[in-house]
Amino acid sequence: MALIEARGLGKSYGQTRAVNDLSFTVRPGSVTGFLGPNGSGKSTTMRLMLGLDRGEGVTTFDGVRFDELEHPMRHVGALLEAKPFHPTRHARNHLRMLAASNDIPTSRVDAVMALVGLETVTRGKPGKFSLGMGQRLGIACALLGDPHTLILDEPSNGLDPQGIQWLRTLLKHLAGEGRSVFVSSHLLQEMGVLADELVVIGRGRMLANGPVKDFIQHSTIGAVEVRTPDGALLQPALAALGAQVTTDGGLLTVRGATAEQIGDAAHAAGARLHQLVTRQATLEQAFLEATGLSEEFRGGQA
Amino acid sequence: MIDALRYEVVRLQTIRSTYWLVGIAVTFQLIMSVILAAVISSSTSFGGDGAFDVIATIGASSGFAPLFIAYIIGLLGVFSTGHEYRHGMIRATLTAIPNRTHVFVAKIVSTVVVSAVAALLCVLIALLSILAFGLDLPTGSALGEMALGTTIFTTLFSLSGLAFAAITRNQTAAVALLLLVPTVLESIIRAIVIAIKSASDDPQSDGGIVQILKYLPYDAGGKLYTRASLDDLLSFLGYTPFGPVGGGIVMGVFVAALLAIAYALFLKRDA
Repeated sequence: MALIEARGLGKSYGQTRAVNDLSFTVRPGSVTGFLGPNGSGKSTTMRLMLGLDRGEGVTTFDGVRFDELEHPMRHVGALLEAKPFHPTRHARNHLRMLAASNDIPTSRVDAVMALVGLETVTRGKPGKFSLGMGQRLGIACALLGDPHTLILDEPSNGLDPQGIQWLRTLLKHLAGEGRSVFVSSHLLQEMGVLADELVVIGRGRMLANGPVKDFIQHSTIGAVEVRTPDGALLQPALAALGAQVTTDGGLLTVRGATAEQIGDAAHAAGARLHQLVTRQATLEQAFLEATGLSEEFRGGQA
Repeated sequence: MIDALRYEVVRLQTIRSTYWLVGIAVTFQLIMSVILAAVISSSTSFGGDGAFDVIATIGASSGFAPLFIAYIIGLLGVFSTGHEYRHGMIRATLTAIPNRTHVFVAKIVSTVVVSAVAALLCVLIALLSILAFGLDLPTGSALGEMALGTTIFTTLFSLSGLAFAAITRNQTAAVALLLLVPTVLESIIRAIVIAIKSASDDPQSDGGIVQILKYLPYDAGGKLYTRASLDDLLSFLGYTPFGPVGGGIVMGVFVAALLAIAYALFLKRDA
């Protein structure tokens, strides 16, 4: 099972720095989500990892660069864009062509066609496929070599809710087998359910890297709500903890302290608590907070 | 390398344009060979190697027409790399075969093989037409020279299409270049050079600017299969074109240069 190590990835388009000194690790047995606003450099990063774009830095898969791998599809499966197929080459033939270059038996072609639910359209022309069918064929390409590592750029694009659920189960299963799964998506709710770790970038720079739980907990949007009739006693104690407190009648919203710390502080100060609730930020809130100033393309107010 | 060649074999086998283009070239050759052989068989003044040359090239050996099959088979060369960019295949290809040199060389090899086989098939059809209509068979040397000439020209022509597509990364532009450079651009250059030479103080002197015409790559390459040429009419301007070997070398060098540029860009550019 492969450890992906990306070190110092960088890429410029003219004066624009699309990816700037990105380094991260994707561990086997986990799904690592790759998040960033539109134009933040996610797709470019993935292409740099596979040597498709020329740039700076190096990415290794268990210490070996992608272009040094013999029969790379047996090690790393990739889905980088929607429908990269000749429109009239039958779906099965597209897979046969890729299989031929990586010494993969034809039986595996039929197996992945069935796995992605396209076994009834093996002679279908990708040009007539829906976006969702095209994504399924792209996922079949990525899985063709039964690789230990998957790099998927927005694989859920175009999939219906059932398809998204199927993909989530599939990727979880593959990670559970010890594979490394690195997947970008703009569906934050989906990523919150799917990913174990996150790499978050904005304007080509690393914003956060680590477990999803840590990313959310570190968000300042998360807070503890405290309902107390003894606010005058509690507030100085919270200030001593270094927490920020906003008040709304008897409701205090506290940031920078855990519920346990607040409970202990209230006990020490002799303040009664009627309610102590941790309001955790959602992944979406944490993401928006983290990337707020790193949005490449920002819409105007309606 | 063998992996890239396997990829190319299945690529060519699994795409309709391979069959369409080879089919069009062969069918055109068959129909026109039969018609020309039938016409020539009723003629009392035309026969021998000249008849074979005309039938094998469908009139191109006279220098009054382009070698039609080269233009058809040449599209295979364009599609070899053009499809990669037009349909976003290039990233899928390079994730299957990350070694760009292998990918590029495999495309050259497959284009050479398909173009050569198709060209030889067309020569064989011409030969069978001659046999079918009882015309004189060509001499061994005439047959060999024509088979070699049309095969080399068609192959180089296809490779130039491959290079145009790789350089422009645009299939439509590559098709346009492949059609326009030999037929339009070279004609315009020829016309300009003739005008300049004609307007000179001594238009009938040997050499001078008309020497440029010897290096028009497709025109020079045409000497591989032409047995007479419009260029012969320019001899009064002191113009002496290359023969088949020299012309073939000029076209070969031109195509090699195109391929070298295409290869360098392919290595350097983002996929």
